[in-house]
Amino acid sequence: MHPPKIRFTGLLAALLALAMVAVSCGGSDDDGGTGATGGGGAQTTEARLSATLNASGATFPKPFYEVVIAGYQKEQPGVTVNYNGTGSGAGRQALQDGVVDFAGSDGLVNAADVAKYKGELLYVPTVAAPITVSYNLGDVRDLTLDADTIARIFQRQIRKWDDPAIAALNSGVRLPSTDITVARRSDGSGTTENFSKYLVAAAPDTWTLRSGSTVEWPGDTQAGNGNQGVAQIVKSTAGAIGYVDLSDAKASGLQFAKVRNKADRAVVPSVDGATAAMAGAQVNADLSYNPLNADGADAYPITAPTWILVYKNQTDKAKGEAIKSFLRYLLDDGQKLAEDVDYAPLPKSLQEKAVAQLNNIAVPVA
Amino acid sequence: MTLTTRPPSPARPGALASPGRAGLSDRSFRSLTLGCGLLVLVILGLITISTTQEAWPAFTHDGLRFFTSDRWAPSADAFGSLPFVYGTVVTAVIALVIAVPISVGMALFLSDVAPRRLRRPVSSLVDLLAAVPSVVYGLWGVIVLAPWLAGIYGRVSDVTSPVPVLSNLFEGPSSGRSLFTAGLILALMVTPIITSISREVFDTVPTTAKEAAYALGSTRWEMIRAAVFPHSRAGVVGGVMLGLGRAMGETIAAALVIGSSPQISARLFGSGDSMAAVIANEFGEAGGLHRAALIGLGVELFAITILVNLIARHVVGRAGVRS
Amino acid sequence: MSTILLGTVSRGRRLRNRAATVAIWSSVAMAAVPLAFVVAYLLHKGAGIVDWGFLTDDIPISSRLPGPGMGPAVLGTLLITGAATAMAVPLGVLAALYLNEYGKRGRLASVIRFLADVMAGVPSIVMGLFIYTVWVLRYGQTGFAGALSLACLMLPIVIRSAETALQLVPSELREASAALGARTSRTILTVVIPAALPGVVSGALLAVARAAGETAPLLFTIGTVNAANTSLLDGTNTALSAQIFGNARLPFDAAIDRAWGAALTLIALVFALTFIARVVARRFTVR
Repeated sequence: MHPPKIRFTGLLAALLALAMVAVSCGGSDDDGGTGATGGGGAQTTEARLSATLNASGATFPKPFYEVVIAGYQKEQPGVTVNYNGTGSGAGRQALQDGVVDFAGSDGLVNAADVAKYKGELLYVPTVAAPITVSYNLGDVRDLTLDADTIARIFQRQIRKWDDPAIAALNSGVRLPSTDITVARRSDGSGTTENFSKYLVAAAPDTWTLRSGSTVEWPGDTQAGNGNQGVAQIVKSTAGAIGYVDLSDAKASGLQFAKVRNKADRAVVPSVDGATAAMAGAQVNADLSYNPLNADGADAYPITAPTWILVYKNQTDKAKGEAIKSFLRYLLDDGQKLAEDVDYAPLPKSLQEKAVAQLNNIAVPVA
Repeated sequence: MTLTTRPPSPARPGALASPGRAGLSDRSFRSLTLGCGLLVLVILGLITISTTQEAWPAFTHDGLRFFTSDRWAPSADAFGSLPFVYGTVVTAVIALVIAVPISVGMALFLSDVAPRRLRRPVSSLVDLLAAVPSVVYGLWGVIVLAPWLAGIYGRVSDVTSPVPVLSNLFEGPSSGRSLFTAGLILALMVTPIITSISREVFDTVPTTAKEAAYALGSTRWEMIRAAVFPHSRAGVVGGVMLGLGRAMGETIAAALVIGSSPQISARLFGSGDSMAAVIANEFGEAGGLHRAALIGLGVELFAITILVNLIARHVVGRAGVRS
Repeated sequence: MSTILLGTVSRGRRLRNRAATVAIWSSVAMAAVPLAFVVAYLLHKGAGIVDWGFLTDDIPISSRLPGPGMGPAVLGTLLITGAATAMAVPLGVLAALYLNEYGKRGRLASVIRFLADVMAGVPSIVMGLFIYTVWVLRYGQTGFAGALSLACLMLPIVIRSAETALQLVPSELREASAALGARTSRTILTVVIPAALPGVVSGALLAVARAAGETAPLLFTIGTVNAANTSLLDGTNTALSAQIFGNARLPFDAAIDRAWGAALTLIALVFALTFIARVVARRFTVR
């Protein structure tokens, strides 16, 4: 009846439709992996997601997660990921309480605690890295230790640096008679768990403190918060010794010892040593594995694994999508970032299984 | 002479009052202020109830052993608070031993010795000392003071090693993070409190008493001993106890420099731990019984500091000074 | 006056007097020197770090990287302390009004006064634990939870200083107002509060300065963030004091540098508030 109006309205509608198409096409960038090598489930473009993910847990892999989060932020700027390094124990507790969306943990959940969680959990292996035995001893640069000696030092049975046991492993090195100050974790730590598990496996007759995320350390040891807290104690105390992940030890400028492995070779903590240790480890169905005290001439014996724990059944659509997207990035492009921060990426077979497991995460439809 | 504030009778309507509504709004305002006052009661009650409730599993877990055992091992579900009580008390005592002479000296300076021009600046000095946040003291303590003291501790321990009792107290070596370092930092923090209260007390000494002492030919120091100290003993003691309460409750500075070793040792230069510091350090990752035990430590600390503060207020109150 | 008499005083007494004087002067030095050291070191370390970028940029996700900033912490401190002040000051002043204008020496008022003193002695970490148990466990870690714990810390301080300020208002003012027929509430609002205002403001500013510097109550109540969070109720937050504490325990020079910068910022804020409080008290008090 009013031709100009109808024509105008039709034009408007056409323009709008055009605009919508343009937006939806321009919105999906070339994010996401482009069929990454060795990665399963290649996605070419990923929809823009918007969510805030809160996570907490292990400080052991935190340097790696930090670069992954920074890299992921460039791909999905709408997703904010907050990872709080509170220790594996606290992370698991927070996941139990439902205060975080996923948790970082260097250790597995005890059978007794499984029921406390709000649902079924999935273990997503992320990286592995050496736990160094770092020390602060002035000019002494080339220290070698073995499991037995390490156990006795941390149990305060060896109290001075020039003890015969240490000297026996280090002929030709001038050891001062400084007292040893032991630095260990105060918090519920996956690093402690793996370190003590190694000592149980490698020095079963000497190590009496058993293993767990907290260990009953002798009273005259100093406690630090997180790997970085231990690193700080070692760095600022002459004669100190402590167990710190490689990444933090290097970034703090600490000296670390070579450790005699199962094949009785003294191995420097390094990414290669960790990779060698992971190579032989057996992977279980739930993707847990144990690279500690591994066989192999080049394996660094104190190589620790770490996982991200996440609920299989997600309750929030936006968060669920974001979690899957983040984990996919971590297992894909994220793995390439690992070596630069002194973490060993997952072996190909394990990585493929991990990516495939992501499909099991159920996200509600609406 | 007191005047009542009844609104004037309707026969003489006042310009500022209107009957009827007056009573209501006055009463409601009064109720409002009373409600705010009662808030203090409510909050204190809530603190006591909620924290004790959360801590109850830890208290009942091992009975009185929570208070008497010296073994703190979260991995074995053993929670004895004694090492932390020890650390709290020792650091607080060290703080007082250092702070009291300095504070009393400063208070005397401000009330009797200072030239007029210096009174304001030194008073501001005390205010500034009080204003510095404890975390800043802690940062300076752990980065600057502790490493520097490590060397000094070494020399002191060398000097005292032949002396029987002292050699145990000052036995080296030390990383600098120790009970003594924590005590030093706490001394810095409680000095303002003790100084302010002591100064107030010293200022209440009647000038006639001071003049009488001078008239009898005493030097200034003798005047202080004769007129000021006897009058102020109670007030200063009260101030010291308030400082003690503050030192025991201080968390952050202690957490950074005390060394975090849950042990009971006579070595003042060795590391230890205090109740507030261990809560700050271990709470973030504690769960279940461990968390309840830490809250239990909080309740224990709460009770001890309240007790100390009550005694202090009683003593200060008797001296007639409202702090 | 004392010097005239010293001419006839024995040597021993003169020496003792001199020794006491030296001791007293040196005690002032012993308090001044550490403070000077702390402030000087802070200026030395922090001055090179604090700039506008430092105060506004985000906190780096990886703490080992050098560079700015502490923007989220500055914002957090301002927001959380501001919210705590907005809660504690009105409530505290009203409570002080009850104690001084209505309750006076009554039984209930004495009990409240006593409990306020008790509350002032509660360790700050216990306040943090309290808010954690009653609020955080239910509603999560937020800036508001931190504000609640700081408000609990501030309340007794505000009550005490406000009551002192109210006591200093001469009763003649109240009596004059009553003689003109004003009811108590009106007297309070129009006469007493304006007269006591400098003292109340000064006391409140000191309480704010104390709260801004507190760390322990915030440890378990606000969590942490790297990017500025303007919301008090939604999501975790951070504050200068919490950042200083966290960074002080790290082994990375970059983190320690940021801690010094944050410390300098915080101490500048606290000193400014303290200074303003003193100026207000001195300049504007009705004598």
